[in-house]
Amino acid sequence: MIESWIAMATVTGTLLRRCSRLSAAAAPLSTSARALGGGGLPTVVERHGNRMVIGYGFNGEPNYIDRVDYPIPAVRFKEDNAQIKVLREKERGDWKKLTKEEVQELYRATFCRSFAEMQAPTGEWKLVLGGTMLACSIAVWIYLFMKVFVYEKLPDTITNPEKVEAQVQRMIDLRMNPVQGIASEWDYEKGQWKN
Amino acid sequence: MIRNAFSRALVAGRAGFLQVAPQSASVAGCRHMSKVAESDEQLTARYVQYFESKDIDHWWLSKHINDLAGTDAVPEPDIIKACLHACRRLNDIAMAVRFMEIVHFKCGNRVKEIYPYVLQEVGPTLNELGIPTPEELGMDKPQLALEDVYDM
Repeated sequence: MIESWIAMATVTGTLLRRCSRLSAAAAPLSTSARALGGGGLPTVVERHGNRMVIGYGFNGEPNYIDRVDYPIPAVRFKEDNAQIKVLREKERGDWKKLTKEEVQELYRATFCRSFAEMQAPTGEWKLVLGGTMLACSIAVWIYLFMKVFVYEKLPDTITNPEKVEAQVQRMIDLRMNPVQGIASEWDYEKGQWKN
Repeated sequence: MIRNAFSRALVAGRAGFLQVAPQSASVAGCRHMSKVAESDEQLTARYVQYFESKDIDHWWLSKHINDLAGTDAVPEPDIIKACLHACRRLNDIAMAVRFMEIVHFKCGNRVKEIYPYVLQEVGPTLNELGIPTPEELGMDKPQLALEDVYDM
């Protein structure tokens, strides 16, 4: 706990020191290398490298993510290389001349996973179900251990049938729980249990 | 209402906006608490106009496709055709294939009824532009597997 506070204070201190190198009037609210004149952190804009930006993206940052509800991300998936440039030139012409493999190449250059792959089952449920049952079985083992090694024997008033009978007789005599409980099961006229 | 609209669309070949849920498609990307809700025909006409604009660029294409993907409905064939032509103008076949996947996805659990109709309406445009459907490319089944970050 204390360590994390110290770590956060250190990071904040480092950032503030780096920012304070610049004059107060020109201090930017940015930690990018460009803004601080060397040092600093790469911006999201710089991190996407050579990839072509094709849209706004789901949050305004030039990132790539496969989402079925926001299908066209902000950037293409792959950076342009020589092979892709050749295909893009071919793409400017008649699409009927593109082979299926070339269309797939172009698709994979822009998108990481197709919809079918995004929605494919992962089998994670087996892990979850197995883990849950494992935890439950450990709990049962712990109870069995407790029963054998920890708990004392049950008292005489529960194990001895004569004593149990005496207690039940007392409950009947006192008309305990006469509506839905034990006394309601006893037929007082005939002096026996109701059936 | 869904069934009526659907059978009307099949038989007469016009209109009702194909709906998966029994409410009118909400306009994506703008609030309309004080305005009257847009009708299906107006929405269709608006999106057709967006995609038909001659100077459309990738940013607007992405935005309109993502908005369509956010609406609770399957895009009308007119919108699909306009979008495919827009992809052609931008020389981007990947977007066209992705858009056909989006249309397939928007059909929801009634894909067996709706998607063949869509292909029937849009097929001539696909053939004319030379766009293969995801099924022809084998992309209706998973082809590649992405390694999970937790397994790396």
